[in-house]
Amino acid sequence: MKSRANEKNKQRSLWVEAWRRLRKNKLAMAGLGFVLLLVVLAIFTIAVDLITHNAFYTEHVVKQNLRLRLQGPSKEHIFGLDEFGRDIFLRVIWAIRYSLFMGTVAIGISVVIGSLLGAIAGFYGKVVDNVIMRIMDIFLAIPSMLLALAIVAAFGTSLTNLLLAIAISYVPTFARTVRASVLTVKDQEYIEAAKALGASDARIIGKYIIPNCLAPLIVQASLGVAGAILSIAGLSFLGLGIQPPTPEWGSMLSNARSYIRDGWHITVIPGLMIMLTILSLNVLGDGLRDALDPRLKN
Amino acid sequence: MAKEELLRVENLKKYFSTHSGMLHAVDDVSFSLAKGETLGVVGESGCGKSTLGRTIIRLHEPTGGKIFFRGEDITDADKKRMKELRRDMQIIFQDPFASLNPRMTVSQTIEESLLIQGLFSRRDKEGLRKRVHELMDLVGLSERLVNSYPHELDGGRRQRIGIARVLALNPEFIVCDEPVSALDVSIQAQILNLMQDLQDSFGFSYLFITHDLSVVKHLSNEIMVMYLGKMVEKCSTADLFRNPRHPYTKALLSAIPVPDPDFHADRILLEGEISSPIDPPAGCRFAARCRYATDRCRQGDIPLREVEPGHFVACVLD
Repeated sequence: MKSRANEKNKQRSLWVEAWRRLRKNKLAMAGLGFVLLLVVLAIFTIAVDLITHNAFYTEHVVKQNLRLRLQGPSKEHIFGLDEFGRDIFLRVIWAIRYSLFMGTVAIGISVVIGSLLGAIAGFYGKVVDNVIMRIMDIFLAIPSMLLALAIVAAFGTSLTNLLLAIAISYVPTFARTVRASVLTVKDQEYIEAAKALGASDARIIGKYIIPNCLAPLIVQASLGVAGAILSIAGLSFLGLGIQPPTPEWGSMLSNARSYIRDGWHITVIPGLMIMLTILSLNVLGDGLRDALDPRLKN
Repeated sequence: MAKEELLRVENLKKYFSTHSGMLHAVDDVSFSLAKGETLGVVGESGCGKSTLGRTIIRLHEPTGGKIFFRGEDITDADKKRMKELRRDMQIIFQDPFASLNPRMTVSQTIEESLLIQGLFSRRDKEGLRKRVHELMDLVGLSERLVNSYPHELDGGRRQRIGIARVLALNPEFIVCDEPVSALDVSIQAQILNLMQDLQDSFGFSYLFITHDLSVVKHLSNEIMVMYLGKMVEKCSTADLFRNPRHPYTKALLSAIPVPDPDFHADRILLEGEISSPIDPPAGCRFAARCRYATDRCRQGDIPLREVEPGHFVACVLD
C-alpha cells in the first residue's frame, strides 16, 4: 500500500504542490480565470487580424460611423458605440493585446534584468552590492510613472519606447526582491556543499540560488504586470502611449472623458476593463504568495 | 608502525574580522592525519571546530599556516587545482535539512557531484542512472526514493543522501562536520555504522567533528580537544579516556552521561561562560574557567608539549 502511494508521489514536484494549494483558493482561481479569458480573447483577435489581413480590424474596429455615435448598449453592440460610432466591445477586446501582452513583455524584460542585477549584488556582496543597489535606490527615488513619462517624452512616443520605459522603471523592484532572497539562500549549507563539490559560480547561481528565489519573484512579477498595465493605460491616457485610432483602454478613457455627460458607457466600459484586469492580477498574486509559501504547507 | 600521511596541517589560523575586532576562530592548530584513520575533533559550540574543517578543505581561506594534502601544499592552490582536489577531499554537513537543495530530487543531488566533476557526461543517461542506483544502494537508500524531494524524507535518509553525494567522487579525505548531531539517537547509530562500514571498504580518512565524546569514542583513532580556537590536548582515543591531562578535557569527560541510575558521578562543573573569541587575551584561553588556574597561566603562550609519546597537552600544570 505504502509503496503504491510513493509510486503516485513520484514526480510530484514542489510546483505541483503549490498549484494544488492555489486551486483551493477560489478568489485567486477567479482572478486566474479572468486573466486566462483575456489571453484567449487577445489571441483570438490577433488570429482574426492575421486571417483577414486586418480587413476586419479596419472595417469594424477603427472605421468611424458618426451617425450612430454615442449609442448606448443594444443587442447588436452589447457595450454600445463610442464618440465616433465604433463598437466598444470590439475595441475593448482588440485592446487587450496592448495592455496584457505589453505589460507582460515589459515585466518580463525587467524581471530578467532586475533579477540578474539583484542576484549579482546579493551573491558577490560588498562593493558590487553597494554600487548596484545605490543605483537602484536612485531609480526608486524617482516615481516610476514620472520616469516612464520622462523616457517617452525624451525618446518619442513609440511602442518600443513605451515598453522600455515601463521595463526600466520596474527593474529596481525586482533587483531588490531577488537580492533579498539571494541573501537568505546564499548562506544555506547546500550552497556550501556545491562549493565543496567544485561547482562554478555560474552553476551555483543558476541551479541553486535562482530556483530557490523563484517564489517571491513570481509573486512580485504577477503584481508587477498589474502595475505595468496601469502604467500603459496611464501613459496612453496622457497621450504618450498608444496613439489613436489604435484601441487602448487608457486612450479610450482619455478620449471618452469629454463625452462623459453624453454617454456613460464609453467611459465606464474601458474603466471597468482596467479595474477588473488589475484586480484579477492582484488577487492572483496574493493567492500565489500563499500557495508558494512553504510554511503554509498542508 | 608509521602509516602513510595523507594530510598535514601546520600552524593553521583562521581569523574573521568583525566590527568589534579580530575573531580568532582557529588559532595555531597543527596535526597530521594518516590514510584510513579517523581524527576526532571535540569541543563545545563556538570553539572553532567547524571552521577548522572548512578551512582545511578551503571553503574558508586560511589566515595563516600551511595545509599539505598528500605532500602537496594546497594553502594557495588556485581555483582550477582546487576543483581537481575537491574530488579527493569532501565534507558531510551537520544539518541534513539545510545541506540539500530543496529543489533537487535525490537522483539530481547525487548526479550533481558526478556532473560537476565531469566523471560522467550529461548525455550518458544510462551510465548516470546506474551509478546513482549503485550509490543509493551503498548508503542504504531504497531505489524507489530516487525521485523524492528532500522534504519528503526523514533526517536519517537525508543524511544518507549527503553521504552518497560525497561517496560519488570516491574521495580520500572527508570532513564530517557533526554528521549525526541533528539526528535522533537511534538514527545516529545507523549513520555512524554506515560511515564506519564505508571507511572499512573504501579506506577513507575522516576528520570527525563533534561535541559528543561518546560519538567519536568508537570511531576515532585519535582525538583532538579544542577550546576557543586552540588545540588543548591531542592523543589516542584510548589514552584520552584513560588518562586525560588537560583540566578542560577532564571536565568534558566527566560530563558524559552514564546510563546507570545508581552511578553518582563526581562531575567537574565549569563555572561561567565561554569567553569571547574576539581579541582573546594572552595566556591559556581556558584560564578564566579553570579551577587550577594560576598567574602563570595568564602570561605568555602556553605551548603544546608532548608529555608522553603521542600525547600532547597545552597546560602549564603538566
